[in-house]
Amino acid sequence: MPMIEIKRGDTVLEARGITKRYPGVVANDHIDFEIRAGEIHAILGENGAGKTTLMRILFGLTQPDEGEILIFGEKVNFRSPLDAIHLGIGMVHQNRKLIPAHSVLENIILGHPSAGRIMNLKRTGDEITELCNKYGFKIDLKAKVWQLSEGEKQVVEILKALYRGAKILILDEPTSALAPPEVEKLLASIKIMTGSDLALVPFITHKLPIVLSVSDRVTVLRHGKVTARLETKSATENSLAKEMVGREVIFRLERVDVERGEPTLQVEGLSALDDKGVLALKSVSFSVHEGEIFGIAGVSGNGQQTLAEVLAGLRTLTEGKVTLGGLDISHSSSLERWQKGIGYIPSERVDVGSIGDYSLTDNVMMNYYFDDEFIKWGILDSNKIRKLTEGLISEYDIAVPGPETTAKSLSGGNLQKLILARVLSRKPRLIIANLPTQGLDVGATEFVQNKLLEAKKLGAGILLISEDLDEVLSLSDRVAPIYEGEFMGVVSTKQARREDIGAMMAGLKNKVAPV
Amino acid sequence: MKLGNYQVKLEKKLRVGGWEAAGISILAILIALLLVSVIFLEAKVNPLDGFTSIFTYAFADQFGVPLTINRSIFILLCTCAFIVPIKAGLWNIGMAGQLYGGALAAFGVAYAFGASPSGSQNLTLAPGLIIPLMMIGAALGGALVGAIPGFLKGRFNTNEIVVTMMLNSVAFWLVAFMIKDGGPFMGAGGEGEGFILPPSLDAPQILGGPYTILLALLLAGFLYFMFARTKLGYQIKTYGQSPSAAKYAGISPYNIPVLVFVIGGLLAGLAGYHLFAANPGVYKITQNYGDFGDLSFYGVICGLISLENPLAAIPIALLFGGLTSGARFVQGELQMGFGVDYAMLGILMITLVAFQFFYRNKIVWKKLEKEK
Repeated sequence: MPMIEIKRGDTVLEARGITKRYPGVVANDHIDFEIRAGEIHAILGENGAGKTTLMRILFGLTQPDEGEILIFGEKVNFRSPLDAIHLGIGMVHQNRKLIPAHSVLENIILGHPSAGRIMNLKRTGDEITELCNKYGFKIDLKAKVWQLSEGEKQVVEILKALYRGAKILILDEPTSALAPPEVEKLLASIKIMTGSDLALVPFITHKLPIVLSVSDRVTVLRHGKVTARLETKSATENSLAKEMVGREVIFRLERVDVERGEPTLQVEGLSALDDKGVLALKSVSFSVHEGEIFGIAGVSGNGQQTLAEVLAGLRTLTEGKVTLGGLDISHSSSLERWQKGIGYIPSERVDVGSIGDYSLTDNVMMNYYFDDEFIKWGILDSNKIRKLTEGLISEYDIAVPGPETTAKSLSGGNLQKLILARVLSRKPRLIIANLPTQGLDVGATEFVQNKLLEAKKLGAGILLISEDLDEVLSLSDRVAPIYEGEFMGVVSTKQARREDIGAMMAGLKNKVAPV
Repeated sequence: MKLGNYQVKLEKKLRVGGWEAAGISILAILIALLLVSVIFLEAKVNPLDGFTSIFTYAFADQFGVPLTINRSIFILLCTCAFIVPIKAGLWNIGMAGQLYGGALAAFGVAYAFGASPSGSQNLTLAPGLIIPLMMIGAALGGALVGAIPGFLKGRFNTNEIVVTMMLNSVAFWLVAFMIKDGGPFMGAGGEGEGFILPPSLDAPQILGGPYTILLALLLAGFLYFMFARTKLGYQIKTYGQSPSAAKYAGISPYNIPVLVFVIGGLLAGLAGYHLFAANPGVYKITQNYGDFGDLSFYGVICGLISLENPLAAIPIALLFGGLTSGARFVQGELQMGFGVDYAMLGILMITLVAFQFFYRNKIVWKKLEKEK
């Protein structure tokens, strides 16, 4: 690392004309910005705006086709992340790159040059504790990483970067996987870090309020180009969204009040194991009514995935009973559930919800190949499916040349629209929407949410699983915060206070009277 | 990479068209032939003469052509036996075992209805009924051997490659037990061969060739249609693309592996039937049956080269059928060293497989701008 005295306000990183082209798309188109010591400089953009490419370039994972990067005023050429690390750039990945079976300390010193062949755990431990004290992190260095919450894992990643001497910290979607109380803690630490002349560069897709509350400056990307450079002081949530999306965005969704009908789905004492054989769902009971959105709010990994899979018939239950419209479906196969009117929108759009090498027509076929209307003598009526697909493409405004396009060429938002269109077109009586807007940009999120509300108006029961508390609160009629496989209560969103539900997501039971 | 004034880059291809794939394969064959020329030159044979002899024997000789056709039918059936499971993303490396199973079942049917090693002619059923029963028996025998890896895969998620490979050995020795000294199917001469079918059970012929040619072509056409248009084909393909997506769509992760291996085994069983019970002049499980087990592996190569397309597999099977017969002939005719035919086929296979690289990648040349 160059031994340069860094003063607050000095430019530590400068990007000039960064351009990166991929076949058929310019991911980064002459991007310029500068980052100063002691500031939080958010990079804001929708999916596909070029954030990931830019991040990869700054961390040396990809080389730009044109343009240059200056660090502390010197032109640099990263051949690999190691070069970037040596020059004081640290990266906190959204998908944590930690070893679960190792302790916090072991993870932090992994690959650190001073660790050498013989590890002096005592000394390094003291040094890291010192770092923690300096920045206000509280973490048990001896704990194994698998025991940690998402927020704590993120702290480990940050410590790891700091211990390697990072002066510029790139944070990929830093708040997206955290429970509200953890977000508060993170923001507090971030303030301390910038106080000691570190530069923080969070990359953010949504959660605009957080951008506004902590950052000093914002650079907004759209279609690979910088559309705005702003002092956060002079920005509002709406002005940022407008720069990001290119049009006005409505933030407040109107919750549609529909007469609540008969219960569609009834779940009693449901328990199930996850892939590791651990009891991930512990005797959960609830019901979803016609014309109701029942929200399940929780931080990732608290049993929501298991619940969705059990209800969709992809996982067997160990105990309990599930009925759909009075019919016992506890042990029905997933095919039977599709036929009986369950529509599952999975969270894994690429691996489960679609097939990349299939055309859109063949992807739509996934939910229709068993439908008698589309089969004659075992032969699929491909014309009918193509017409249906064409109809869905126009109705859902999916930006593709035609139904023969492969699914893998679709952006995240368009892919989710396709899955949503396919599932909703079956007019299911129960929709299980598992993280339906996760990772989507503002425009697509708005679209998906409106479609769910539309389905609700038509009388479908909707089980909405989301990690985004704001989304759950604005869409659902009732919400059940889930923590370690248990419901912490079921509350009406009209009465519930945001903070209370946030606390319940973090494991505090029944802060609100149940409904 | 820089080459002179050009920037050379590899780019990923999104998809490869059928005709493009055919072009790449033809280019690969030409390059393979160029490489094979080296062998000819080494043996002091004019490559042009060598190739002329090979192709003349394989495709225009009164003895060579029937051999080519017989081999091609066999390879085509084995290719189909490979293609069905590979469409589901599963590797059938057990065509050898399945075709032995088919052959044993076919001869078992004949045996059950009176054909015997002693050459007895007292059949207990009309030959016109025994012949189709033998064919059906062969299909079921192959299917049974195929069902084992399919079941183990579907139920316990075992590795199908290992299981099929091991079953090849099991079936190989089972055939040995049945036809060699003292085995129930032992031939009258006792030379380690199975018994010869009575002439009345010789399979019918079409235009001087075995009727199995029609069977193989029809099956290839049917499979093409199945994968292009039917619900079953869609389920198999979807499972092959992504088992988790297939499960999501309600396609059973147990049934598909069983099904594709049963169909694959069935087709390989028919290949065994063709080879030993419908091939003019053979009509017995031969002493060198193991060689044909080895030959069945051409099914894997043909399946991969044809991009899992049963119709495209037809000309490729014909080419390999011709080359296996032609190369062996040339080896004797031009008095070249032992194993030249295998070397040739080996080169061809490696080149074809290596050229699959171009199915997925393309090389882009770009003239560099002069540095200012």
